Amino acid sequence: MSALSSLARVQAAAAGIAQPLATVRHCHLADAPLVLVPLKLAGEAAAPLAVMVGSGPGDPTLLAVPQPRNRDLRFAFAASLATIVLKHVETSRGAVEELPPGKDGDERIRYGDAPQLLVPNRGGVAFLRLMGRSTRFRSTEGQYAVDPAVPVLGRWLTWFADRFDHPGSSLLGAMTELLRLHWTTGQSSLEDGNLAALVGWIDPPDGLDGPSAAARAEDPVLCPPAGPTTDPTFDNEVLAPAIASYDRSGGDPRAEERLRAVLADQLTPTWELMWRAVGLLRELPEGASVPKRWERDRDAFTHYHQTFGEAYPQARRDAPVRAARRLHDLERAQDAYDAQRAFDDPLVMAEYRLGGQAFGGTVTDADPARLDETGKRPKLRPLLRVATQDPVRLDEGTTVCNAARPGLKGKIVEIGDGTVLLELTGGMGRKLTPEPGAVPEVGDRVCFTSLTEGSFGVAKFPDREDTPWTHGGPPGEYVPTAEDAEEAWS
Amino acid sequence: MTETAPDLSRLRGGAPPRNHDARTIAALTSNPGCARRGVMDAAAVDKDAVARALGFPAPFGQSQFAITRGNAFEAQIKADGCAELLALLRDRLGLTVPEVAYDDLESVAGNDARELRHSRTRRLVAQALESGDGTLFDHPLLRLEIAGHPAYLEPDVLAFQLAGRLHVIEIKSFAVVDGQAEPEQVAAAARQSAVYVLALRGLVAELGHDPARVSHDVFLVCPENFSNRPTATPLDVRPQLAVLERQLTRLVRVDDILAELPADLSFELGEELATSVRAVEARYAPDCMSGCEMALFCRDEARACGRTGALGRSVRDDLGGVDTIGTALALADGSLPPSDDLAETAEQLRTAARLRAEALGGALGGVA
Amino acid sequence: MFRSPGVPTPDELEARITELRAAVRRAMAAGDRDGARGLRAELRDAERAWDDAVLGDAPAPAAASRNEDRRGLQPVREQVHQALTLLGAPAAPKLIGTVYAAFFPGEIPGQRLASLRRDEERSFRTAPYARPYYLCAALTADMLAPARGLLTVSTWPLERRIVGPLSPRADFLTSAIRLAEHAERGTPSPDARRLLWRFASTIPGAATGTVGTVEPAALAAAARAELDVHRDRDLRRRESAARRARDRLDDAQRLFGSRLRAVRESGRPAARNAAPDPAHDRETDG
Repeated sequence: MSALSSLARVQAAAAGIAQPLATVRHCHLADAPLVLVPLKLAGEAAAPLAVMVGSGPGDPTLLAVPQPRNRDLRFAFAASLATIVLKHVETSRGAVEELPPGKDGDERIRYGDAPQLLVPNRGGVAFLRLMGRSTRFRSTEGQYAVDPAVPVLGRWLTWFADRFDHPGSSLLGAMTELLRLHWTTGQSSLEDGNLAALVGWIDPPDGLDGPSAAARAEDPVLCPPAGPTTDPTFDNEVLAPAIASYDRSGGDPRAEERLRAVLADQLTPTWELMWRAVGLLRELPEGASVPKRWERDRDAFTHYHQTFGEAYPQARRDAPVRAARRLHDLERAQDAYDAQRAFDDPLVMAEYRLGGQAFGGTVTDADPARLDETGKRPKLRPLLRVATQDPVRLDEGTTVCNAARPGLKGKIVEIGDGTVLLELTGGMGRKLTPEPGAVPEVGDRVCFTSLTEGSFGVAKFPDREDTPWTHGGPPGEYVPTAEDAEEAWS
Repeated sequence: MTETAPDLSRLRGGAPPRNHDARTIAALTSNPGCARRGVMDAAAVDKDAVARALGFPAPFGQSQFAITRGNAFEAQIKADGCAELLALLRDRLGLTVPEVAYDDLESVAGNDARELRHSRTRRLVAQALESGDGTLFDHPLLRLEIAGHPAYLEPDVLAFQLAGRLHVIEIKSFAVVDGQAEPEQVAAAARQSAVYVLALRGLVAELGHDPARVSHDVFLVCPENFSNRPTATPLDVRPQLAVLERQLTRLVRVDDILAELPADLSFELGEELATSVRAVEARYAPDCMSGCEMALFCRDEARACGRTGALGRSVRDDLGGVDTIGTALALADGSLPPSDDLAETAEQLRTAARLRAEALGGALGGVA
Repeated sequence: MFRSPGVPTPDELEARITELRAAVRRAMAAGDRDGARGLRAELRDAERAWDDAVLGDAPAPAAASRNEDRRGLQPVREQVHQALTLLGAPAAPKLIGTVYAAFFPGEIPGQRLASLRRDEERSFRTAPYARPYYLCAALTADMLAPARGLLTVSTWPLERRIVGPLSPRADFLTSAIRLAEHAERGTPSPDARRLLWRFASTIPGAATGTVGTVEPAALAAAARAELDVHRDRDLRRRESAARRARDRLDDAQRLFGSRLRAVRESGRPAARNAAPDPAHDRETDG
């Protein structure tokens, strides 16, 4: 939160409709993402109750566990879900791109596309994570054998959930978070957790405004929660009797059908909301850096897919070096993601202008042909004076770049009295006269910032066999144990 | 205290005081700045009934699946003389083999009257402190005075003889997966357990012993991973205890608030209810939704008044503490000249508004 | 298909069901329990009507009859007596049920167990000692009151039927020994092996082999070793309480315990105390 986004929130409250926080879309959106709306049984860590899943609004599949306490039925559910998710993974690879060979001459490739999973909210992500954790160690042999697809699903779900933690990744998205990245409502962020209320503020149905649409969304009878937790009165008055009658029926398919019908009633409104939300995001033009970040996602996907056969399921806990490296990667990714969004989107850059790390205004004076001749060879160093009303908080001597064309770099020479004097240092071509159009002209509106993409250096970490003793020394190679596989799932 | 008590019961308008439990007592520690909550809680007003009568019932329903799971897990841990609990305490916390005594305090000779159960709890705790008798006490009944009324509290188990100290054991059915549980649930369990520790320390002090013989480490017993197998996690509740003690003393000081209120104020259910409730100022924040029965009513009121706090504490802070949406917007568009103390805030809001308008107008987009 | 006038169509019924479900949930959310109860009854009627209209006559549920078969032919009190005799110590209905299912053919129907002690007491009071044995309460050592949720056999010595603070553990170990010895004499069923594992996993040194498997002899030995630690202290307490019980209690009280009848919390219905042990009912119903 900042004064800028808080002001937007207040404006939204006054206007009765959500206000934009972005002018472009900052996430990748697949043509046919796999939308999942999961429900779990209350009181259990990750006992699936149902999921509505599919990659087109008119084509949902409903999977349900008629008795969520029955282990066999749970694993049958996991196997059916595996079929759908794994099919989506396998059909989302696209054409293979050949890349220049790596440092040690390795052949390198990148899949042309990658799968994308969308769930309604953070709870949905947590559910997939736990579902992954509870299935990836299952054994496909022995007394408690499960369908071979089940542990494969578990590993993929774990991978998707890991990528969710990676700033800027679009492989797994929580719809409430994606919407909040682009709009702010006139309610609190707690209430924004309700997908129906959030969509109601952004795109209220005919005849309603944001607040009335949100009020309607908070009535669990009219508007079932987006899961994975169900409404308690639904549990007590509808679900429990339906499960009990299924139990009594001795496997009567009609009892199961009735149960599926009540679950479908709970899921369908959220399913429709998900696709409406996809439509809302699609209307925004894609941000300039989105393809670059999606390329990182494709790299990650290619790597995991290629090495899937040789790897073990992900360990329960990361070893120290791996954990440190992961944290560092996440920080770097966050840094780059924040900067990229600002360069892509003037509304995000406005945050930095308000904070004083960027300034925008009109060029009042320009000397595009100025040369610095103090050194051995003359250098092209045009001067630019920018009039700005922004509260600049940069020191003289700071290196800045042009927000619209980050290649154009400069140094702050002097700040004062509503103007900033810049000396441009690069991004104007190799000659002693600037390329045409490279140097802004008097009267142009410009924005410069000290923000750079990837200022965070790559840190060095010890190899796993050199893990320092302070971190427990080199960890043993992780091998899944029989206990992992036998762990009761009850 | 004695002078306040009649005032407080008058506030209830003849309704009986609501029975506090560990959850509602723990909730007393949230939003200490709210006078409405402070007065209603101190007077033990049944806020649930009040909220319902006002047309804003609290959305605190519980799923029977969660209740069943919770009960089944507790029953399993305590089955066969607490066999699983003993194994866990021996294995993780070094309870010695001779320490197996089990006393059931859920009823006294088939009678579950609270006074009886409490006095038996007292007797057994006294014995344990003096002679070291007893190890596990199942559902003891403790008492804690809340603004002049006794609240009865029922921890799941008390364990004695872990290094000579009494420990509260709380059995919860949320899972601990690879050593991690949902932080909100752990936090709620810690707050609840702190209430038990406080009540038990009170009892130990009353019995003439050092309250420190009640450990601030409580043991949380939860299912491990996705199984029904229990695991125990020690939880240091000192921070929660400190907050709780401070808030409970404050509760006694509601006299100051009461002095400001109309002398005939009462929360009796009826036509005057809404007016009476509004007479006491609330400080609504979105966090209230997780613990206070009045939250939906107060939210509605805060929204109707255009309070920035209804949008979140951080929003209000970002706006330099400006209290209403109207003021914030008027400062931002310059239509309201700021007072001296708001000059800086106003400046920032005007800049923010200009920058937003500029960015949304596309004035800078794509220009090199 | 013909429909008599006034009979709602399935579509109408579905709309009605949706409406009623919403109404019940709203009533519950608003705390209106009485309203919800009425609506719930209407809802069940509408659901039944829908079932009849759309599904026709349902076939007899297969599961119920299968349960009947599994129950075996013995009366419940016989089954409980067998299980308790094998356990040799006071036990909770849940354990009794598990032991019976693991070591005897069939299952004890759960809901019958709940009312068993009440029925036995009634029978004894009507015609004392008319039966060779009664299933009765365990008595608490301090107050000689019925212990919550424990069943015993009337023919056991009083010491065995009285429970002090150490008795739950001592009895658990005694039962472990007896079940292990019984298992050693034959080939235990998978249910029996699971039950033995449950015992072994909470007794130090009892689980020697791989996770989930148990050696009955090792279990018995480990349980005996721990029981040695508690036995004397436990027995002293039980014996002194038994002496008191013989002095002070009449026959019926000795079997079913004495209750605190005089003390009563104000505001509680008086009938509650006179009813045979509400605490016990609550436990077994859950």
